[in-house]
Amino acid sequence: MSEDNEPRTDGSGTGIVPPDDETPSWRERKERRQGLARLTYEYFERARYEDQTLREDSSYVERDVLGFPAWPHETIRNLALTSFLVGMLIILAATMPRHIEPAADSSTTPAIILPDWYLYWSFGLLKLEALNPELSILGGQKLMQDRTYGVLANLVVVGAIAIVPFLNKGSARRPVEEPLWAAVGVFGAVFAFTISAYSVNNLIPVERNLLLDLTFLLPVVCGIIAYAVLKAMREGYMFELNRRYYRLRPPR
Amino acid sequence: MPAGAAVAAATEVVAVAIEPSDEFDQVGWMEEKELTPVEKGYLFVLIWMDKRFRIVDYLEQLETMYYRINLQMPKSHTEQYNLDNKFWYWYPLYALGSFSAIAYLVAALSGALLGFYYSPSTAAGACNVSNASVAYCTIAGIMTDVNFGFMLRSIHFWSAQVMTAAVFLHMLRVYFTGAYKEPRELNWLIGVVLISLTMGFGYTGYLLPWDQLSFWAGQIGLEMALSIPLAGEWVAQLMFGGFRLTQSTLQRMYILHVFLLPFIVTALIAIHIAIVWVQGIAEPH
Ligand code: HEM
Repeated sequence: MSEDNEPRTDGSGTGIVPPDDETPSWRERKERRQGLARLTYEYFERARYEDQTLREDSSYVERDVLGFPAWPHETIRNLALTSFLVGMLIILAATMPRHIEPAADSSTTPAIILPDWYLYWSFGLLKLEALNPELSILGGQKLMQDRTYGVLANLVVVGAIAIVPFLNKGSARRPVEEPLWAAVGVFGAVFAFTISAYSVNNLIPVERNLLLDLTFLLPVVCGIIAYAVLKAMREGYMFELNRRYYRLRPPR
Repeated sequence: MPAGAAVAAATEVVAVAIEPSDEFDQVGWMEEKELTPVEKGYLFVLIWMDKRFRIVDYLEQLETMYYRINLQMPKSHTEQYNLDNKFWYWYPLYALGSFSAIAYLVAALSGALLGFYYSPSTAAGACNVSNASVAYCTIAGIMTDVNFGFMLRSIHFWSAQVMTAAVFLHMLRVYFTGAYKEPRELNWLIGVVLISLTMGFGYTGYLLPWDQLSFWAGQIGLEMALSIPLAGEWVAQLMFGGFRLTQSTLQRMYILHVFLLPFIVTALIAIHIAIVWVQGIAEPH
């Protein structure tokens, strides 16, 4: 810029003009906006203020995340574990190599048709035709095809898992604090096993109907046991917990 | 000329400086110093790059990030309230998420190597096995002809198994430690998608050898797709390339397994872990 502080148009000078008083600041520009943009701006201001207040009140050293840092605590430990895991994979592969079955042949159906083990649960849900509701109005006809029923059952299971965080809220973390939810979890985990076992019922030396009953009974029983045990543990546990935790972080 | 103009402004020299000022003669400055050849070479490259890209700014930013990461270590909830005893006891279970990620990496690497030898074709007659397709023969070839091929295939297989198991157990650990609660709901949802895609990975991979197991598992999958209400036929055509298992089925499974799923799953895992990074890991209390 030259001495008279006039921007030059002849190519000399930097071309950089300092902001004068008329140039709106970033903040002013945001403030002047309308509608959704304006709402966004207002919310961000509030959120920033909330953060600031939290940080000022906090006794934490630096930031306010209620968690331990992924770096370096978590990462370093994981790197150490990596070597064990990779070693384990190599040993597994060396001692139990993967073999190959006879080539695909659409004209001979093998005696045993199976997906990989982690899909057994889904496969099991396909075999629940015994539970497919029948309507007497329809003269004992089923509402939908057995297969359709099985596929829908899959969706129900995945959907149920997906909405867990929106059903169970609050700041409780340990199973003892919420025996019911822990029991639901135990039910789910055991059911995953029993329905998998049911899917391979032709390989299991238990009568099919009995196995079907067990498929649903065992998870319920395990769930109830978990509930009872946790309820019993709760008394003693909660005293300590309340003292140590809820006083520091009151439940919302 | 920016440097000259800046000097003019800074030192309130009125005339526009034509010659670059000594102060900005970086190379001259370098030559005045007594430097080892290594230092000299380094500085020269640095100055050369910086003149063109002003990397100083970026270095500064990187440095700030580095210090943020390293110095802003909060005294964690666990430390503050002395919960280590409770925490370390369950610690191994907190490794399951990383185990999934590591097993995924191993599977990706071994899978890429397998991909060099595998060919997704159902055409017959590539080897002396009855009914064998090209796909089947290439797998057999990997196991018998390729050096370490059998091992490679086994490693790929086992890393997939371990990944699936780890993901499932990881989900249980998240459930039983209540780690899905606010503010981590979104990560739980991403997790649900991830576990489904992981099983999709397993399923599509299971079909690739095109042996009896693959074929009949494919048959089940096709029938499942067909029994989806309303969209069934459409899904079957999209995913299985028709209502029978054919070349297009194998080809689609192959593309899903080695192209589509890797992209999506890698991206989702990155987001998933980035969110964990930002939020910190939920601690038991
Ligand atoms: C490809 C599969 C997955 C990978 C690679 C993965 C990876 C990770 C990693 C490395 C962590 C850090 C904490 C830990 O290791 O325990 C984590 C946390 C978490 N994961 Fe996953 N995960 C996967 C699948 C899932 C699934 C299936 C769910 C649940 C449906 C899930 C939900 C969560 C949640 C809510 C957290 C936060 C937990 C906390 O803060 O304590 N993830 N994940």
